Amino acid sequence: MTKMQKWSKVSKIFVLVLVCAFIVSACGSNQAGTNGNGQEGAQSAAEPTANTTQSANEEEAEDKQPSGKVVIYSAGPGGLAENIVEGFKAETGLEVEQFQATTGKILARLEAEKNNPVADVVVLASWPSGMALKNEGATQSYTGAAQADKLYETWVDEERHLFGYSASALGITYNTKLVDEPPTDWSDFADPQWKDAVNIPDPSLSGSALDFISGYLNQHGDKGWDMFEELKNNGVALAGANKEALNPVITGAKSAVMAGVDYMAYSAIAKGEPVGIVSPASGTVINPRPAMILKEAPNVENAQLFIDYLLSDEAQGMVAAANLLPGRSDIRAHEDRTQVADIKLLEYDWDWMMEQGPAITNDFLELYK
Amino acid sequence: MTTLKSKHTLSWGVAAAILLLGMLVVTPLIFILLTSVTPDGEWDWLAPLQVIADAQMSQVLVNSLALGFWVVIGATLIAAPIAFLAARTDVSRHKWLDVVLIIPFMTPPYIGSMGWILFMERRGFLEQLLPWTEHVTPAFFSLFGMVAIMSLHLYPFLYLILRNALQQIGSNYEEAGAVHGGGFAYRLRTIVLPLMVSSYAMGALLIFVKTLAEFGTPATFGRMIGYYVLTSDIHKYTSSWPIDFGKATALSSVLLSACLFIWYVQNIISRRYHYATVGGKGNRMTMTALKGWQRLAAWLYISLLLLASIGVPYFSILVASLQKLRGDGLSWGNYTLANYTKLLQWGSPGLDALLSSFGLALCAATVAAILGTYLALHIQAGRRFSERIVDAFSLLPNTVPGIVMVVGLILLWNAPGMPIPIYNTSVMVVLTYVVFFLPYTVQYVKSGLQQIDTSLTQAGRVFGGTAWYTLRRVVLPLLIPGILAGWMMTFTISIRELVASLLILPPHMQVSATYIFAQFEQGEVAMGMAMAVISVGLTTLILVFMNNLSAIRK
Repeated sequence: MTKMQKWSKVSKIFVLVLVCAFIVSACGSNQAGTNGNGQEGAQSAAEPTANTTQSANEEEAEDKQPSGKVVIYSAGPGGLAENIVEGFKAETGLEVEQFQATTGKILARLEAEKNNPVADVVVLASWPSGMALKNEGATQSYTGAAQADKLYETWVDEERHLFGYSASALGITYNTKLVDEPPTDWSDFADPQWKDAVNIPDPSLSGSALDFISGYLNQHGDKGWDMFEELKNNGVALAGANKEALNPVITGAKSAVMAGVDYMAYSAIAKGEPVGIVSPASGTVINPRPAMILKEAPNVENAQLFIDYLLSDEAQGMVAAANLLPGRSDIRAHEDRTQVADIKLLEYDWDWMMEQGPAITNDFLELYK
Repeated sequence: MTTLKSKHTLSWGVAAAILLLGMLVVTPLIFILLTSVTPDGEWDWLAPLQVIADAQMSQVLVNSLALGFWVVIGATLIAAPIAFLAARTDVSRHKWLDVVLIIPFMTPPYIGSMGWILFMERRGFLEQLLPWTEHVTPAFFSLFGMVAIMSLHLYPFLYLILRNALQQIGSNYEEAGAVHGGGFAYRLRTIVLPLMVSSYAMGALLIFVKTLAEFGTPATFGRMIGYYVLTSDIHKYTSSWPIDFGKATALSSVLLSACLFIWYVQNIISRRYHYATVGGKGNRMTMTALKGWQRLAAWLYISLLLLASIGVPYFSILVASLQKLRGDGLSWGNYTLANYTKLLQWGSPGLDALLSSFGLALCAATVAAILGTYLALHIQAGRRFSERIVDAFSLLPNTVPGIVMVVGLILLWNAPGMPIPIYNTSVMVVLTYVVFFLPYTVQYVKSGLQQIDTSLTQAGRVFGGTAWYTLRRVVLPLLIPGILAGWMMTFTISIRELVASLLILPPHMQVSATYIFAQFEQGEVAMGMAMAVISVGLTTLILVFMNNLSAIRK
């Protein structure tokens, strides 16, 4: 045998070893905490058909123990999303896989996964973004949602695609060590005393900031753009997601953040950080955070159970404890924060905001870049 | 032996290697190029150029190139003096410097940048320590600051290259010059610099490419100051809404072409300006003993360098991870270990992320070690064309920026009709890490292989050993240190890898790098920093432990 022939024999053995290694590593990484694998893809492909027949006969479905898993894409807030998943797991015994990110990143991920959908439930932090998903036909209706009629009227749509299980109001958060006279309204930040001291979250990442910007523009039109331009000229800076915008205010690098979600400020106050929050005089936006079942959801039935859980007393209590506004009107928000009825709102129309959302995002980024 | 070889044009094993690399490394890149020239499903060769011609996009390209240029200058200014000190003066006696000077490079850039931001921001740590600096710190949040951070991260490359080159030149040539009456400046200009050109060009281009490919600093510091570059924009277009894969692939193609072009130039330079400085006469080094003010200046420089490249970022990271209330800054009684206990609680997201990181890195390192050894054995000395192809392909991921590679892998494995359903699973993550870090194992094993004298394998064969037997009993045992080194390298950098993890992880999974990044964005900075301390600390400990182990073996 020549040398090369022998080498090629050797290499055959190596290829075998290689194949084994791949298999081993696949198993190994399964143990490391994943279950999303090939076989499940095959399973889930078969499941929707089974589910539709089941949901046609609901009584039968209720008798059956739920099984399998549910995949949730949630736009936070971190602690709350985890608590809800833990509670849901404890109640149903289902397995839950949760992806947490900002609204912008979740939408991007859904788009990227169009070819191979995996998510069942999507929870966003922006109502118009949820409506846009519905209009694209990406969501499905769940008319049987328990307690959905107790939600605030405008926090759920007629066809029962979007369930605003919680909401936040956009406010002005400021550092109490640096600010003696808190601002009273958005336009105050055009004043020279606020030069280079104010952050605003990036609307391409933060759904709630987008809601505020488009809501403000909805009421004020071009005058609204004038104000945003004045603010930009006074050094208001675009600063990533909500928490990224708030962090420098806590440490004192910035004095205030405008259009930040209020629950984050209340949580920081509760922790003892030196911040305070104002609800602007001219009004703001309350943005319900919609939970939706995706049309291509591989585990529809479990997804419906999850929506039911979101609207249950237990989950709504967790929402209140996290300083958000509970979606059900019969449950009070945390006593240390403003209640829904006490927040002055801008005049805005969700449909307009949904249509204009992408254009406003682009124009705003162009202005602030 | 060569006559025997030439009889076989393409062996089974080499063909398999090329096929495998073609699938793992080359196809994703081809997918990027294809997607970028077929924007609405139709061929349009100029599409990427049209995207770039857009005013905003071209600004991004210019930003990237300008950043690369300035970082090369910055890294040179930092690395040249220390390389000279380490190569030519008695500073070289301090062996610990060699290890310490590498630390900045081993610090993940997104963590280092966050450290700098916390240190320099308004009412940040520096202003709390020295209140008068408040007039200076705002100036740091500019291109200057970004260049400084990146230079301080990347200078170790240039330092190593320059130091080795200086050591190789030896002092003979300089002494010859001095004997013939040349002054210091004259010797520097006519002897040292020309001999250094090739090495410096290599180093500078390496820094340039690394800067273009860098994601961590642009994603943190760059975004903060509004300085957008190719990598950060590719990330934006692939991961935040509204996404635009067309733009992302166009930018990726541009970045890819730029890096391949630079790599090509680098090859030409190193071939053209190569002088044989290693002769039979042996090399004698004379170490200048530093005296008086020279000594003082040298050590002042070294301490400042270490302070800036290691002290500042690690100070910020440690302090931030220990803070109770971030609003209270540096004050007594504001420190706690609570963040660490919360992070390491059983079942907490932080611990889960850490465990996933270790699991994935373990798999990736093992697969990469096996695959890399297989490839290196087939590259051999790289005399034949097919072997050189294997060589080039397996080193390609080192030249291609990480984010480009990831975009290609996503396009390929998430394509409609992809028969192997590993996208969105942890297997995909392992595969990505393996592709990323394969070059390390291949390099280590290859250099190990080159050191094995053919007489050893020949001896094995003379005594009747089959090829498999010789490989198993002679070659592989000798290669083990190289394989282990590759394994270690892959393991440690997999744990810290950010850009692949951000884009490729299955939805429900987090690793330590994405955990840290997510804490900056949406969670608690203190928790993120605690995770940074733990993951950097653990990997460093493992490195040190393995080093000691192999030292004992020897």
